Amino acid sequence: MTKLQAKNIVKHFDHNGNSVLALDGINLNVEEGDFICIVGPSGCGKSTFLNIVAGLEKPDSGEILLNGNQITAPGPDRTMVFQEGALFPWLKVIDNVEFGLKMAGIPKDERRQISERYLDMMQLTKFADSYIYQLSTGMKQRVAIARALAMDPEILLMDEPFAALDSQTRDLLLVELQLIWERTKKTIIFVTHNISESIILGNRVVVFKNRPAKIKKEFVIDYRRPRLAEDENLQKYYHQILEELKSEVMARIKDENL
Amino acid sequence: MSEKLISKKTSHGSFDDAANAALFLAVFIGVWQVVFMLGIWPKISLPSPFMVAESFVKIIWNHSLPVSIGVTLARLVTSFAISIALGTLIGLTMIKFKGFGKTLSSFSAGLLSFPSIAWVPFSILLIGFNDFGILFVVVMSSIFSIMISTYSSIRNIPPIYLDAAKNMGAKGFYLFRHVTIPAATPSLIIGIRQAWSFAWHAIIGAEILMSIVGLGHILSVGRDFLDMGQVIASMITIFAIGLLVDRFLLFKLDERVRRKWGLDHHR
Repeated sequence: MTKLQAKNIVKHFDHNGNSVLALDGINLNVEEGDFICIVGPSGCGKSTFLNIVAGLEKPDSGEILLNGNQITAPGPDRTMVFQEGALFPWLKVIDNVEFGLKMAGIPKDERRQISERYLDMMQLTKFADSYIYQLSTGMKQRVAIARALAMDPEILLMDEPFAALDSQTRDLLLVELQLIWERTKKTIIFVTHNISESIILGNRVVVFKNRPAKIKKEFVIDYRRPRLAEDENLQKYYHQILEELKSEVMARIKDENL
Repeated sequence: MSEKLISKKTSHGSFDDAANAALFLAVFIGVWQVVFMLGIWPKISLPSPFMVAESFVKIIWNHSLPVSIGVTLARLVTSFAISIALGTLIGLTMIKFKGFGKTLSSFSAGLLSFPSIAWVPFSILLIGFNDFGILFVVVMSSIFSIMISTYSSIRNIPPIYLDAAKNMGAKGFYLFRHVTIPAATPSLIIGIRQAWSFAWHAIIGAEILMSIVGLGHILSVGRDFLDMGQVIASMITIFAIGLLVDRFLLFKLDERVRRKWGLDHHR
């Protein structure tokens, strides 16, 4: 069943008074239970696309359909895990996880139950009463994932959530996220500039062209899970995607030097 | 797991702090006494610490000090409350109507640095030589600081907090109450502390010039009767109240928020 449909999404940006085309007609179908990774050179517009899916930005034209219904505003059915810094420092870990549930009017006991379940899933039970500054970067991102999952969204959006992590912590979270995906059967769109990350996580990897962004190519990664970062068999995918991306990254660098 | 909880229990040496303060005071009073005994100034211009203590006893005994403290604080609390309520309201209006906010905030440097005493003649002519006139001076002296700090604190909230909250379905008043306000709090408190100090400057100044009761008034009565003991006793009282309020109310509040946010943990 089709969970999410992006139809011909176009978006311009205002750059020093000039209108710059950022997304040039993105078409994407996401099936229920899909784990889609979007890779592209940094600044290519993949985060913009995700923000549009989240409803935080509006496209100039085109539409996003979730379960067949058009999306126009942000909503808890599409929760986002941001790159970093999106947790609320004035709330304890558990209250951060409960934030959206409280908004949704879920009674206190039930709220607590749900948030405890997800904190447990992310191995954070001990830190429920900590404040955010007391956590390491990796723990913060795990809280952010717990917070997003607690809303039980239709689709989970992840915007380079592991970009700021050290590689050991990232490898660990890459495995954890696959297990969570298998366990919760969530539909996930994961944006990254890191090819290995996209191969380890995605069952489909979508390569974005440099600005204006368009879908350049799509790869299906049919390989057993949980995939590990050091798995040699993933190398062939890596090279295929790298080949596609190389020219885009070069184009990006040229853009920036203009 | 290599990740560790960073939790440092910082024990503030509050005893050491108190001991240092006491030592400083002892030295200060000692130097004062020595200068007094050198006889550079006549007694009437510079009384000894003991004579000032006598003045203290006198103005406590004849009730002028407790009454003055009461009146001054009542005026201050009233006008500061008005300042906070109105200032916040105007600050929020500035946020809501961007052009208005931008225009008003371009005057902020002039408004913030405007000397409180300069409001006094205006207030006397507009409102009169009475309590309301004093309230007016204090409100005008502290409101801009509240207004500007409300405006800039909210505008400087990292957009990611608002995005994250909206993403989880927060909007309208819920968003305001549970994200905007707490996210702006550390910076709001700085504005309130500043406004408090402006208000405190303003009320003493206004009372010296336009009151018949209050701390500023007993200060100027001391001058009128060449009673330096009363002048210094009033000054010490003013100093002590300013310190106590900031130290035990505003600073405590600030510290609590900073601890929660981990703002003192920059590594």
